[in-house]
Amino acid sequence: MVGKHKIIGKPERRVDAWGKVTGKAKYAEDYTVGHQLWGKVLRSKYPHAKILSIDTSKASELLGVEAVLTAREIPGSNVFGIVVKNQQILADERVRFLGDGVALVAAKSKEIADHALALIDVQYELLPVVSDPEEALRPGAPLIHGDTNEFVHHKVRKGDVAKGFAEADFTIERKFKTQFVEHAYIEPEAVLAEPAEQGGVKITGSVQNLFSSRRSVAEALGISLNRVQIIQSTLGGSFGGKDEVMTSMCCRAALLAGRTGKPVKMVNTREESMLESYKRHPYVLYYKWGAKKDGTITAMEIRVVADGGAYASMSPFVTWRSVVQATGPYYCENVKTDVYAAYTNNNYTGAMRGFGSPQVDFAIESMMDELAEAVGVTPLEIRMKNGFEGGAVTATGQKLAHTVSLKEVLSKAAQELGFEEKWRRYRDAKAVAKRRGVGLACSYRGVSLGAEGVDAAQTTVSVQTDGSVIVSSGVTDMGQGAQTQMAQITAEVLGISVDRIQFLNTNTSGVADSGPTVASRGTVMGGLAAKNAAEKVRATLLEVGSELTGTPVDALDLADNYLVNERTNERLASFGELTAACFNKGRPMIGLGWHKAPRTSWHEEEGKGDAYFTFVYGANAAEVEVDTETGRVNVIDFVSVHDVGKAINRAMVTGQMCGGVAMGLGYGLLEEFEIEAGIPKQLNFDEYLIPTSMDVPRIKTVIVENEDPAGPFGAKSVGEPTNELAAPAIVNAIYNATGKRVYEIPANLERVFLGHKLTRHDKRGSEQKNAFDAVMVESCKVRGGSE
Amino acid sequence: MRPFEYYSPRTLSEACNLLAEGEPDSKILAGGTDVLVEMRKSSAWSSKAIVDITRIPSLRGIGESGDWIIIKPLTTHTEVLHSDLVRTHAPLLQTAVSTIGSPQIRNRGTVGGNIMNAAACADTVPPLIALDAEIMLKSTSGERVIALSEFFVKPYVTVARRDEILVEVRFPKLPANARSSFVKLGRRNALSIARLSVAAVVCKDEAGVVTDARIVPGAAFPRWQRVPEAEKLLIGQKPSKELLVEGGKKVSEVMISFTGRRWSTEYKEPVIAVLVRRALEACE
Repeated sequence: MVGKHKIIGKPERRVDAWGKVTGKAKYAEDYTVGHQLWGKVLRSKYPHAKILSIDTSKASELLGVEAVLTAREIPGSNVFGIVVKNQQILADERVRFLGDGVALVAAKSKEIADHALALIDVQYELLPVVSDPEEALRPGAPLIHGDTNEFVHHKVRKGDVAKGFAEADFTIERKFKTQFVEHAYIEPEAVLAEPAEQGGVKITGSVQNLFSSRRSVAEALGISLNRVQIIQSTLGGSFGGKDEVMTSMCCRAALLAGRTGKPVKMVNTREESMLESYKRHPYVLYYKWGAKKDGTITAMEIRVVADGGAYASMSPFVTWRSVVQATGPYYCENVKTDVYAAYTNNNYTGAMRGFGSPQVDFAIESMMDELAEAVGVTPLEIRMKNGFEGGAVTATGQKLAHTVSLKEVLSKAAQELGFEEKWRRYRDAKAVAKRRGVGLACSYRGVSLGAEGVDAAQTTVSVQTDGSVIVSSGVTDMGQGAQTQMAQITAEVLGISVDRIQFLNTNTSGVADSGPTVASRGTVMGGLAAKNAAEKVRATLLEVGSELTGTPVDALDLADNYLVNERTNERLASFGELTAACFNKGRPMIGLGWHKAPRTSWHEEEGKGDAYFTFVYGANAAEVEVDTETGRVNVIDFVSVHDVGKAINRAMVTGQMCGGVAMGLGYGLLEEFEIEAGIPKQLNFDEYLIPTSMDVPRIKTVIVENEDPAGPFGAKSVGEPTNELAAPAIVNAIYNATGKRVYEIPANLERVFLGHKLTRHDKRGSEQKNAFDAVMVESCKVRGGSE
Repeated sequence: MRPFEYYSPRTLSEACNLLAEGEPDSKILAGGTDVLVEMRKSSAWSSKAIVDITRIPSLRGIGESGDWIIIKPLTTHTEVLHSDLVRTHAPLLQTAVSTIGSPQIRNRGTVGGNIMNAAACADTVPPLIALDAEIMLKSTSGERVIALSEFFVKPYVTVARRDEILVEVRFPKLPANARSSFVKLGRRNALSIARLSVAAVVCKDEAGVVTDARIVPGAAFPRWQRVPEAEKLLIGQKPSKELLVEGGKKVSEVMISFTGRRWSTEYKEPVIAVLVRRALEACE
């Protein structure tokens, strides 16, 4: 089938496009049923405090209030967590960050529920706050869980760094810092929980990872998994963000529905969403490289501290990807990498598009440019010298057996932007106020979960007697286009047009637990499961076709909605006639597709392993204009090149590439969710700045296709790699323009102009309560401008 | 959102009566781009009534009267942006409104609202002060006219009484020999609040000697004002590159004399000087 694809690789229209552009798509908040109550959460008043008492009596007496719940009234388990179970549906004895829930209300209207929240009296005893991850690791720091705040230490060991540094002609040692970032999905968290027959619950909501949410709901209610049904509504964006925060909301709504016997809807406002939801991890990164005069890297010693916030969440996995990828796609015989994660009283940090790579990529690619400068070659030359080629052995000791296209993507990115010529010209240009610069960044990235955990998924293909097809999958679509990809793969195998396929939103009771839709695994895992399912159906259909026509199976094909004689191209039956015949003969109309990823391995103690079953390669090139008199940076041109194995849908791959760059541009230049002493400073988009369409330049996208047998039709990942390179490419471009390097992102006005961040010197510490009130009032009243 | 009373007067006198005799704790609604945002924040919102003046037709429009341009308060930023009168007689105001928010916000937000909300970053205010604008306030007890430069006390606080409605903004047309400019520094290219801004007007005689100079920084001083110390440097001179640099530095000095050295001074001190210089260069 390879080489004559009819649907794979084509810019097919997305299966969800019509619903979304006509407003008919139903998002979670659009689900409304009779007798529905509104659920609301009373959240903590302090970032760290002991709960002395909760008095809900006044709230319960309010007319229209149907239930008020605290941790005590939870029938099952109050704790959840995918790796470490230490997050609570409602805080019982202690609050650990400002987004913690303390009590729940269900009432006949949102307004009554809000009013009831104000009537709940919670008495707290303040505890000392720790808001900086490095402080949290020092002896004597306030403890968040157990007897140490260090809850992750991943390492990678290769060779001998002491020997490596001894062989070096020089060393480069730098410190980098990255910030909290908000996912900024357009649709805030929302669910509708309805009591179901036989004591169960049905939840419709904006959930990314339905199976892990389902597990926690079942445990909270103390019922079996088969009584909890979670149906995914159309998602208005997730970017990794609708996992634990949605688990928590699902549990809360289900508890209120269970208590009242009525449907309960919960919808976060943007402020509630930003206050409660988890963020991208801020990292402090210490990089020390030893190198020879010719640019050979002899040693890399890397220490990283990640701010995990109040709960473990995905930190153990996020930081594991960081430790595996911390050296970048570069040869080095001697590596010692340590990545730690610390608990603090900040928003907890978890999955976000990139998942531990954007932070290390910023450091690696900045270091690479510094190395180029020290050696006296161009950024492209230093990467071509040190970059991986086929058969390379990574820092974790994994031999790369697939097509290693790093140098191909790098040269294409450089060529499209005219990088080498511009880089020299801008470096030598006259020092005028507005200066241009170009920057380069590249990476390799492990596909799917890797040695993080079990990696398998299910997709079902069911043909109907009229030739239409239903596809459903445990891999979810949150806007990234998973449904369209799987529909295209199914259509290709069955020789039908995509418009014959109806894709069902994921329903936990309709498909098997397929793990989370994360790690850019949708196309590979869901896609291979879809291919597997469709191939089973195809085999049946061809057998039936052979019986019908007397033509041998190996002379038959399915193409253009017909059963055809492959040799004569004669159309023997329509696809609908064929499926009807299949039904009449009592043959299976359904294919259950399953795919389990190839083996990966990891030795935590030795810091080695075959971390991922395959990798993808990407390169970005940015051109900026820096106003050196104000620090203002404009990105004026951009090239994004990614080897995706095979583009199932070119339009969607291009969309992912452009979206990833826009998001990465925000990460590099604008976005910063600031938390001071546990108190977030921006709770809406008036102050938390994401790029507008006016800030995103023309983006030239280049799709490279080195087909990989690990994925369907050779396809690999694209969602996350597109998001990890824009920031370092832009920061490197700023250096080319100004000769000054930014070591902390975002590279905003002050950091570019002054070289450091401006911090308002608020009172903090002992006057915690006053500081809290002051900041809350301030963030409500004063918007920008005055200071 | 808390419950509130909603009034929609159809005439100016009806609106004045409502403000004078109705709920004392009421807020005027014009474009709503600030009011509607703040209403959602229960902690900062205390008003018990909304007086929606958008259905009073006499409060709309841009006109001229002799040497004066008159802008009624409900005029949207988009209307200012497309006004030939403003383009001809006050181009810096047009530049300023073009930088406000996004097309959606410019379609809703009004000149009157921008003034009365009195945010330190209000983009129409520096150019209007540079144009020597006056405003007229009306209540049941009569009308009064105030120079815009005298109107503001500090961010979000003005001398307007709670029963007064802004009914007119007016300013003299710029003379034929005037050049004007508005320079704004924001963090992004749209939906961007001014980090700092500068409005400037410079008039020269036929020999190229400055006869009038007006410089009004935005988001820099505790309240908006012209900077006569810097303006004086220019008057009577033929501007050289060095003089414009000096003008910028002078504004920076005056700013610090008002604000003292604060956490943000390290950035604002050099950058406001640059923006003033650029605003003056744009008037060359």
